[in-house]
Amino acid sequence: MTAAALWREPLAQAAVWSLATILLYLLAKRLHRRWPRWWLMPLAVAPALLMIAALALNVSYRDYIRGTHWLVALLGPATVAFAVPIYEQRALIRRRWPLLLAGMVAGSLTAVATSWALAYVLGIDGELRLSLLPRSISTPFAMEISGEIGGSPDLTAVFVVLTGIIGAAVGDIVLARLPLRSTLAKGALFGVGAHGAGTARAHQIGREEGAIAGLVMVLVGLMNVALAPLIVQFMR
Amino acid sequence: MTHRSIPIQLQRLLRRNRLVQIGLLGAFWAAGEALARTTGLPLPGGIIGMVLALVLFLAGGLKVASMKRGANWMLAEMLLFFVPAVLALLDHRELFGLLGLKIFALIIVSTTAVMCVTALTVDICYRWTERDDSSSAVA
Repeated sequence: MTAAALWREPLAQAAVWSLATILLYLLAKRLHRRWPRWWLMPLAVAPALLMIAALALNVSYRDYIRGTHWLVALLGPATVAFAVPIYEQRALIRRRWPLLLAGMVAGSLTAVATSWALAYVLGIDGELRLSLLPRSISTPFAMEISGEIGGSPDLTAVFVVLTGIIGAAVGDIVLARLPLRSTLAKGALFGVGAHGAGTARAHQIGREEGAIAGLVMVLVGLMNVALAPLIVQFMR
Repeated sequence: MTHRSIPIQLQRLLRRNRLVQIGLLGAFWAAGEALARTTGLPLPGGIIGMVLALVLFLAGGLKVASMKRGANWMLAEMLLFFVPAVLALLDHRELFGLLGLKIFALIIVSTTAVMCVTALTVDICYRWTERDDSSSAVA
């Protein structure tokens, strides 16, 4: 079999793209550890390099994701993993849940209001604007809501990941500027603002921050699934 | 299923082996998916699995140690699982122009606002409750 024929085999493609994704992620992680700049974040560098490779080889997203979908599927078991830090911080959460709830409600309202207002100002409308609204919620919830309010779940998934990348970077800057006293506020900021990617970043800052970010991310998702129909009523 | 009913050796394996623990996480996720499908709950399987695991921890049916190593590894490497999703951008070339810049700006401004409002709300409430706690302690 020639190399070209081998390249057309779906299994070979899956192996090559999976391996490339993992290796580039590891490389990006090393780079970031060596030079900890926000624009060298693994979640920005690895996709950028992969995108260049895909464009150069004229590979479509469908071809790429067919072989790497199993990596995205691991987000399911990774979500289950949040049970551990949440359980370990249960005393803190039991004592402080009213504060977290207040932050979640205020943050969600800000997310929807600023997204809608900025889209209006910038002249982004229709399906695109609706796809931008559920951006601050973690992907599975966001896609659910996007479809429900008339957005495109596919586009929303992209915006959610972009929000995570940008949020993890912006979070560090916000953290450095705001005079925050409680780890509660630091965790909630990442959980509400930048969901999964932000929570991963919060875990790197501290165990308590990570646990709170994970809990808040899940609760904000649940809250917004419940509130989405109500919000849409106001936005129409 | 109580913890005592599992043979000691299996318990030990579960306590030490990261891969076995990741398998356990996967089992919870699969159970969550199955539950979502059969009950029609509009929740992702991972979330249901997480709630199941939490309930078992709280009820004492499962020890945290039998999941901790696997969970810590998964949480540390979670960013990897987001990488392939970003490549969906390949299908949306329209986002590479001015429109993309607008969306980029929108996300930066909106996310910064969300983070500031959330953190300040929590922190201000925190300071209130702290002051109440200390004043009641003095009184």
